[in-house]
Amino acid sequence: MLGLPEEFTPDFIARLEQLRIKTRREYAGLGKGFHLSPRRGSSLEFSDFRHYALGDDFRYIDWGLYGRTDKLYIKLFKEEEDLLTYIFLDASGSMGFPANDRKFEAARATALAVAYAALAAGDRVMIRVLGGVGAPPKAPAFVYGRHRIVEIARQLGTLTPAGEVDLAPALAHEMVSIRRAGKVFVVSDFLAMVNSVERALGIFTAANMDVSAVQILGGSELDGQGLHGDVEVIDAESRERLRVALGPRERERYRQTLQRLSREIRNFCFRSGLRYALYTTDRNFHDFFLRAATGLGLVH
Amino acid sequence: MGLFDSFGLVYPAALYLFALPPLLVIAYLARERPRQVVVSSVIAFRALRAMRGKRFGGRPRLQWTFFLELLILCFAVLAIASPYVAGKGNPAAVVIDNSAAMQAQTSSGPSRFENIRKRIAAALSSSDSEAALYVTAPQPHEVGVFHGADAVRAALDRVSVTDAPDDTAALVGLLAQLNANRHLGRIIFGSYRPIAAPVPARVEEITAGEPIANYAIGSFVLSRESFGAAALHGRATVANFSRSAQTLALTVVADGKTAARAQARVEAGEVAALDFPNLIPAKLYRAQLEPSDGFPLDNVAYATGSAVRGVSILLVSPTPAHGRSLRSIPGVGLSTVPPASYSPTELAAVDLAIFEYAVPKQLPAVNSLLVMPPPGDPIFTFNVRTAAHLDLTGWLPVDPVTDGVNFHLLNLRSGQYFGVHPWMRPVVSGAGGALILAANRQGHRFIATGFNPLPYLGRANLPMSILTLNMLGYLADFGGQGMDLRTGAPWIIPAGVKQIVLPSGRKETVRAGESFSSATIQGIYTLMAADDSQTQRAVNLADLATSDLENAPPLKVEAAGRAASEQAAVRTSLTPYLLAAIMLLLVLESLLVYSRGRPAIPALGR
Repeated sequence: MLGLPEEFTPDFIARLEQLRIKTRREYAGLGKGFHLSPRRGSSLEFSDFRHYALGDDFRYIDWGLYGRTDKLYIKLFKEEEDLLTYIFLDASGSMGFPANDRKFEAARATALAVAYAALAAGDRVMIRVLGGVGAPPKAPAFVYGRHRIVEIARQLGTLTPAGEVDLAPALAHEMVSIRRAGKVFVVSDFLAMVNSVERALGIFTAANMDVSAVQILGGSELDGQGLHGDVEVIDAESRERLRVALGPRERERYRQTLQRLSREIRNFCFRSGLRYALYTTDRNFHDFFLRAATGLGLVH
Repeated sequence: MGLFDSFGLVYPAALYLFALPPLLVIAYLARERPRQVVVSSVIAFRALRAMRGKRFGGRPRLQWTFFLELLILCFAVLAIASPYVAGKGNPAAVVIDNSAAMQAQTSSGPSRFENIRKRIAAALSSSDSEAALYVTAPQPHEVGVFHGADAVRAALDRVSVTDAPDDTAALVGLLAQLNANRHLGRIIFGSYRPIAAPVPARVEEITAGEPIANYAIGSFVLSRESFGAAALHGRATVANFSRSAQTLALTVVADGKTAARAQARVEAGEVAALDFPNLIPAKLYRAQLEPSDGFPLDNVAYATGSAVRGVSILLVSPTPAHGRSLRSIPGVGLSTVPPASYSPTELAAVDLAIFEYAVPKQLPAVNSLLVMPPPGDPIFTFNVRTAAHLDLTGWLPVDPVTDGVNFHLLNLRSGQYFGVHPWMRPVVSGAGGALILAANRQGHRFIATGFNPLPYLGRANLPMSILTLNMLGYLADFGGQGMDLRTGAPWIIPAGVKQIVLPSGRKETVRAGESFSSATIQGIYTLMAADDSQTQRAVNLADLATSDLENAPPLKVEAAGRAASEQAAVRTSLTPYLLAAIMLLLVLESLLVYSRGRPAIPALGR
């Protein structure tokens, strides 16, 4: 429908429109919105007092305080602004394997779902693609308005996962072009050493950004990638070759290793105040997204 | 005798193919070469134990299937080499005479065949590890090769005597062939006929049956009494193979009713003919000879009414209606064509032709009647003169055409007189020339008439009808006699016949045009057509040489074989056993591999 993935059914879209992003801190936006901003404004949320100065609107004079202190104070309120939402989509070669798991398709649908929820809530969205071939958005720019989701979907629809992406340097490079803090979503399989993932996500926390990490893994990928016997496995990104003999025990060990890797990333996220969710492609996407939405900072 | 004396290879060079097993190992190693699969990341695979060794094909894992396939390959190479085991003993050949003469009773009671069978069974010994069994009738042939004396005895029990005579020449040929086979240890030949001296050394003859007196029907055939008659004429020959003169009586039973009886005094060793004129029309005829004797088979003979062949006539005429009267003659089949459509090839299926108001362009290949032929043709060159009224003036008094015709009552109307003919003689003459001409030309009979007798055929004009039947009878030469089928002699299955019911009641599905060789029993064979119509054929022994049980001429077999002491090696091929083992192992491997199931490996790369 309008170039959106098949997961975007009318019912799902309706559920997305009910969501809005909640951050753990306040970020300045670029325009009026529904998120409290550190800027002073005209919302109902009290922010501070200051001495009355000539020209101030005396409707904001706190008369109660004047009665107690005999001094005139003006009540200050917070501003409500839109939220700058950054979505980083991993389109490296590893996202294309195993092909029958359709990991990249799931990652793209996740990114679009987050983007649509943000746009529907009146926030600004910037999508950055890491790796891949096709026609990703080139210049870093925010899009605004829910109708822009179609344009985003078309651009992401032409992408094919390819290439080698080292997450930490790639995200550090992206940070150069980001001038304002905001909400960050990173959608990736995070198939890298844990310290590399920690370094990558730590870039955003160091920049005072609210980060949500969505790990996408394939159903068969978790189950030994369907391999059996003597196999020479080739890394989709680094082309590293490894000869292994896969039997039932080896498959179990492989599964445990992958689960431990995922668990360590999740623990890091919790320790660092990051939000984390794991999606395996053998599950229903709608169920996953709507259940994981709260954990990722998307609330009703 | 050592191992290599009892085992050998027909093609020892095939053993070079044993170089193939290393290829199998290489194939296995190649099969074990790990597949290359692109995965999302090798990070989780690093934790696994890496494969040992980096040699060709990776780690060779020689499973049980490898050894199974190695065994199959070895068996296949051995099978190509054609191994055999040479036995110590010599095989035997058993030839039992199952011809009709073996049905004759012996003085002790059982038939010759039973007697011989018992004696052959007794002659077989435990040393006869292998024996080929042959029977002699209807043609000598091998029944099979049997291992062990008991198996041969069991096969002997299954052999039955036939009603067919044997082919003496073929039997002598078989015996000579067996005698020349140096692999055979001994040849047991059981028959009522001895082998003329000198008997070959390896041949053990078992003769049963002393000469016995026998009275036989030699032949029993039917023919039509005369042209156009419904009654049949039976003729039988009877023989007296005894040492004294004997009155032989033959009774003919037609469809269960006694139709005729005749007898004749026949001298010893002589043959007499008995005639049965005016036999009533019937489907089946059975001739029974008296007195009975120890060989009842030739005391009975069969014939069928349908076997008496009719006369087929081709009428070439512009007025086909004239042929209607011909159709009413019993035993006459008529086909009609106009002169313009006539082709000489149509004569191939007929016995005689009638050309009415027409003359063929070439001399017909069958006997022909030319009715009022037109003048001036180049073949017959008739010279005719048309007359409004024909006057009869003379006829040949002794001639098959004029026999029994009252020419005084014959009233001829318009017609034509023939002038002098260069090669046809006048049979009936008139005032203006010949009215009937007849001649033999190129082996065929020809009659030409100056009047048309065909419209007057019937009781209304008896002289004309008799004249016409005389002419047709002369040309048809009284048609043919009934078919004389003999036991053991194959015959061609007629068109349309799908099934034949044997005298025993057994049904045999057949195909028209093929040879039917199962007529080994004397009696009536019913031929069933696809349209459920039936015809019957009588098959008789009809072989006086077989019936002559007093004089059984000895068989002369050339003594060309080697002495029995020269033992010939008996090779038993092991190839069939190897092939069977290969098939078994292949099936076993297929079943086990299928039941184990190979894990499906999805293509993970793009």
